[in-house]
Amino acid sequence: MKKFILSLGIIMLAFSVLTACSGNSSSNNKQPATNEPAATQHTDSAEGNAEPTKFSISLRTLAVNYVENHVNINEDVWVKRLEELSNTDLDIKLIPHAEYEQKMAQMFAISDIPDVVQANGGVSGKELAGSVQAGLFMPLDEILQEYGQDLLKSIPESVWEYQKLDGQIYAIPDWLSNTSRRATVIRMDLLEKTGLPVPKTVDDYLNVLREFKKLGVEQPFQARENLKYSDVFFGTFDAYSYNTMFMEQDGQIVPKFFDVENMQNAIQTYQTMYNEGLISKEFATINPATYKNNILAGKAGIWNMNANEVLQWEQQLKETVPDAKLAVIASPTGTDGKGGNYLYSPMTRNFLINANVDKEKAIEIVKFFNWMVSEEATKFFTYGWEGETYTLNNGTINYKQPENADEVNLERYRTFWLWLVQDQTYVKGLMELTPEGQELMQVYDTILANEGRDGIKFEPRLEAFSDNPDISPLGDVPAPLIIDHIIKMIYGQEPISDWPNVIEEWKAKGGEAVIKEATERYNNNDGVFLPQK
Amino acid sequence: MATNIERSAAISSAKTKHSRSLWSQLWKYRALYLISIPGIVYFLIFRYIPLFGSVIAFQNYNIFKGITGSPWVGFANFEKMFNYHDFSRILTNNIVLALYDIIFVFPAAIILALLLNELRIVLYKRIVQTIVYMPHFLSWVVISGIAVSVFSPETGLVNSVIAKLGFEPIYFLGDNNLIRPFLVGAGMWRDVGYSTIIYLAAMASISPDLYEAAQIDGANRFKQTLTITLPALMPTITILFLLQIGQILDFGFERVWVFLNSLNSGNGEILDTFIYRVGILDMQYSYTTAIGLFKSVVGLILLWLCNTLSKKTTGESLF
Repeated sequence: MKKFILSLGIIMLAFSVLTACSGNSSSNNKQPATNEPAATQHTDSAEGNAEPTKFSISLRTLAVNYVENHVNINEDVWVKRLEELSNTDLDIKLIPHAEYEQKMAQMFAISDIPDVVQANGGVSGKELAGSVQAGLFMPLDEILQEYGQDLLKSIPESVWEYQKLDGQIYAIPDWLSNTSRRATVIRMDLLEKTGLPVPKTVDDYLNVLREFKKLGVEQPFQARENLKYSDVFFGTFDAYSYNTMFMEQDGQIVPKFFDVENMQNAIQTYQTMYNEGLISKEFATINPATYKNNILAGKAGIWNMNANEVLQWEQQLKETVPDAKLAVIASPTGTDGKGGNYLYSPMTRNFLINANVDKEKAIEIVKFFNWMVSEEATKFFTYGWEGETYTLNNGTINYKQPENADEVNLERYRTFWLWLVQDQTYVKGLMELTPEGQELMQVYDTILANEGRDGIKFEPRLEAFSDNPDISPLGDVPAPLIIDHIIKMIYGQEPISDWPNVIEEWKAKGGEAVIKEATERYNNNDGVFLPQK
Repeated sequence: MATNIERSAAISSAKTKHSRSLWSQLWKYRALYLISIPGIVYFLIFRYIPLFGSVIAFQNYNIFKGITGSPWVGFANFEKMFNYHDFSRILTNNIVLALYDIIFVFPAAIILALLLNELRIVLYKRIVQTIVYMPHFLSWVVISGIAVSVFSPETGLVNSVIAKLGFEPIYFLGDNNLIRPFLVGAGMWRDVGYSTIIYLAAMASISPDLYEAAQIDGANRFKQTLTITLPALMPTITILFLLQIGQILDFGFERVWVFLNSLNSGNGEILDTFIYRVGILDMQYSYTTAIGLFKSVVGLILLWLCNTLSKKTTGESLF
């Protein structure tokens, strides 16, 4: 017995020593790696010595490497600088990107809600789990009128519409001036080899893909599971089946896949590509990682991707295929002369203030967000810190372009993640600096701005969808029932002529109620958003 | 009469004796009881108290109102479950997969353990054991990654062999008819080695005298396995079998989820993946708790049935 107690004592002692050691080492790690905070102290007195506003804020990591690999983001040198400039003291609570919705629900379930909560852009999204309706957040109209004029001026009216519930604004959003984010990208070097012109229609596209096949390109069009990021031919026929894609048909509001002809044309196009080997025979099991690897290994000829990443991917592709050249081209057009990927909603994140925050603090928080659209903030987030990421030369800014992966990650963190309220389309200040950037801005403004498909959508989403997950679509994935049939038809396991039966099946499994609710809400103008284009 | 009084006196004295001896027992082994407290507390806090959370299956649970504030709806969630048009398909998938598991995977572990037990070169045995244990420590996500590339119809190893033999390549993961064998096979590959541990431990405790006696009587190795090893393993096999029955509807969420796609979900989807889609992705907590409760109750009933049967027939039982 004595022996036992003795050994127990020893084990506990050992543990306490171990934990003490690890405690030490982690507090050492907290020191920011890049810069000593001494350099950041000069603005303190300039703000008139007001007490910094202290508030907590939850932020999704958004898979930004710099954030996810940080030991303690609250001790980060850039957060410290942000705090100094805006005279705040942030307590950032990170929410892991992949488990965002679950963690948000947990947060609400245990009522541990920070002063400011980041949502996905709307006020009735799944991640908020009905919390705005439950009165957990503060209406902001009054405060915004008085202290948020810059926000009201910078952010488009249509974006504010999404922040309203019963006519009151509940959140401060960022915005996208151009919601056509996904682009059709081609290997220009390969196209030049074929001697063909830049394709426009579906037939042009198919011809180019066939030529690519002859050149030995493994997967001329890069498709992947659920046709995510490879759905552009549905755009050609205006036949997307997503939750933003409702249309009017015979006085009813129905999903766009109710247009049998368009839908069959789109599926037929994919089946042709499947039969001729223009897409992989096993695209139903190609995951996002394989999709990207194939492209970066030079095995694909045409694909869909987010336009803002084109330059980076081209860089990476050149490591395996030195003469590779990427170009964003107009997406395949249909009989109406239009086409394109689905349009994003016009904001990516928004920020809600906890109803329990007292009014003075709420005012300071709104001022903090108002500062985000100021010139000072724009300069700070775009170019970073003088002497570190840029130098001043007779008043002109000399920006130090990132040279390695770490610096790229840092730039993305500063310009995208930490800059909470901005036009998220692209970072104009940085794009202007290089010829490639200018070209890409050109692409955004000429090609992407002129394409894209959208439909009637409902916020908050239609109640009838919650009765059956099988008929309920997501933002860029069709309802399980729909995508299952689409994929089976492409693989030839079901005839494409069966599409009317699919619509009947969808109706029978709860779709009837969806149409009824959608039509009613549309007629009563209850949370209806019309197509952007 | 007198005997009656005597007897009741004897009983009461036995009772006091018994209770006294319980306390003295407790006191005697106080150190053991003391160190078991953290374990008991753990089970109370993390296993028993959360059981009360199951009441949300009978509510329309709202995370802002909590268990006390959410409205009661009786069996509405269960009705919704049984009325769900695909419920019978999903339940059938689940049961068929579970039966496959019991028919193929469960005996496979026993056979593998018997084979390992027959190996005489210790080093070789250890190497083989380590190799067959290893897959158990891989996560399903990793396994699905490996499987997708190994079984790929265009670039996969398996299909290149099939093509060499002059057959058409098979899209294993894209075939509704192949998904069940595939899931069961993947599970077997990953866990069969690990499941042998308990059997090997049980075999190690069999007295060598029995084998010596059998050898003297002229029994060969096969005969020894049949008449000594297997009977000695029977209690272990029974208990593991009963545990398996209790988890009959717990086929494993990840094990299926990572392999599901549009082409195979017809035969592949199970209750767990359905719960994930509805409950976690769609936040219908009450509904999915109802499904989970249904699963547990089915497991409990089957466990109790098999336990009683086994007690009657073999005398072995869990409780």
